Amino acid sequence: MRGRCTRRPGGCAEMDVSFELNGEPVTVTVEPHVTLLDMLGKELGVRSVKKGCEQGECGACTLLLDGAPVASCLVLAPQVEGRFVTTIEGLEKNPLMIDLRGAFIDNGAVQCGFCTPGMLMSAYALLRDNPHPGMDEVKRGIEGNICRCTGYTKIIEAILDAAERIAPE
Amino acid sequence: MRPLPRFQYHAPKTLMGAVELMDTLENAKPVTGGTDLVPLLREAACRPSHLVDLNNVAELNYVREQEGFICIGATATHSQVASSELMRRAPAVVDAVSRIGSPQIRNRGTVAGNLCNASPAADSAPPLLVYDAEVRIASSGETAIIPLQELFAGPKINCLEPNELVTEIRFPVPPESSSSSFKRIARRRAFTLSVASAAAYVDMDGGVCSEARVAFGSVADTPVRVPEVEELLNGNTLDDETISMAAMAAKRSVAPVTDIRGTAEYRRAMCGVLLERALHAAAGRVC
Repeated sequence: MRGRCTRRPGGCAEMDVSFELNGEPVTVTVEPHVTLLDMLGKELGVRSVKKGCEQGECGACTLLLDGAPVASCLVLAPQVEGRFVTTIEGLEKNPLMIDLRGAFIDNGAVQCGFCTPGMLMSAYALLRDNPHPGMDEVKRGIEGNICRCTGYTKIIEAILDAAERIAPE
Repeated sequence: MRPLPRFQYHAPKTLMGAVELMDTLENAKPVTGGTDLVPLLREAACRPSHLVDLNNVAELNYVREQEGFICIGATATHSQVASSELMRRAPAVVDAVSRIGSPQIRNRGTVAGNLCNASPAADSAPPLLVYDAEVRIASSGETAIIPLQELFAGPKINCLEPNELVTEIRFPVPPESSSSSFKRIARRRAFTLSVASAAAYVDMDGGVCSEARVAFGSVADTPVRVPEVEELLNGNTLDDETISMAAMAAKRSVAPVTDIRGTAEYRRAMCGVLLERALHAAAGRVC
């Protein structure tokens, strides 16, 4: 995308979008119809944010925008100007995410793995805001994430297990 | 999947700036959460030349009480509205917006956007209709305030002129003696369109319902209030007989269609069931 002329015939000017990605300030030159999902994958080499339905329905592209889980396929690149984007890479050393990851592995909550980063981001936001969720709250927390292997039982068990590890009642 | 069509993007910082852009740009569309608009763009169901993003207009982001009204700014998300202390005064609204889509959708999508999209199945509509909500519209001309029902011109069609922006949804602060509830039927609990939905508002005076308002979603061209049903309830105790009469009347008054989500007959039958559930829940919430 970079190095292309800044105005396409009948199209739109490229723009500079500056935001914080996993704690680092970045600036990307991008056309405004590019989604946050594509900007991260194609311009910034972020691999964890998966492209599934591109309709906001599968949750594979879930990341945190200013701390709140959103579907990055529905966010336009210029809409993150000045904002904070967190992907799973940015939580590598986060104690809550370490426990969640461990619980997913120990509980066999990963099958094909495609939904896993999105599931972990939703689970992270859930446990961050509600350290002791009940079964129904866990289900609601991941209601925007589809696992097409349909391994929900293990995923729910993993999230409940992670909650125990982080803050045993 | 196919990329989004190209458009020019504008992010005004003030309402005046947004209004000016909407007025001067050809074929411009406003955007807030994009949760409805981006999929429409992708399907090429909508081809704007310009998008005017309202998210940076700080003066449009609020849920507040003002001059006897509870007011929801154009960029207030479902999550913001659901968690607002003020909105506990209107529990049917919270019932609806706290279950729209998924957390990812509720964190981006806005109540104003849900209404402007004008889907007959918009879950925020029936509860706001029973609160007599109004819509504030800005343009280069005068600011207008219209009843919410008038915003809905048809299925997925709103009444706005191309240069008009919805800046606020508001409804009168409800009396302490009132409460409300929203009930829906869908194929599953999360992240799906309602097959049918109902909102009920009741203002109770002792055991008597002094004022009732009911509205339905997914059973007509637009979300609808049903005055015939309200008249049956007004001035009566909400006993089983009254409620089942109201449910019968509701079934007669709606005009559902058959589609992939449900048949007209099923939807008609469910209007009665949902109304009963919503009335019982609303009455049970009045302290």
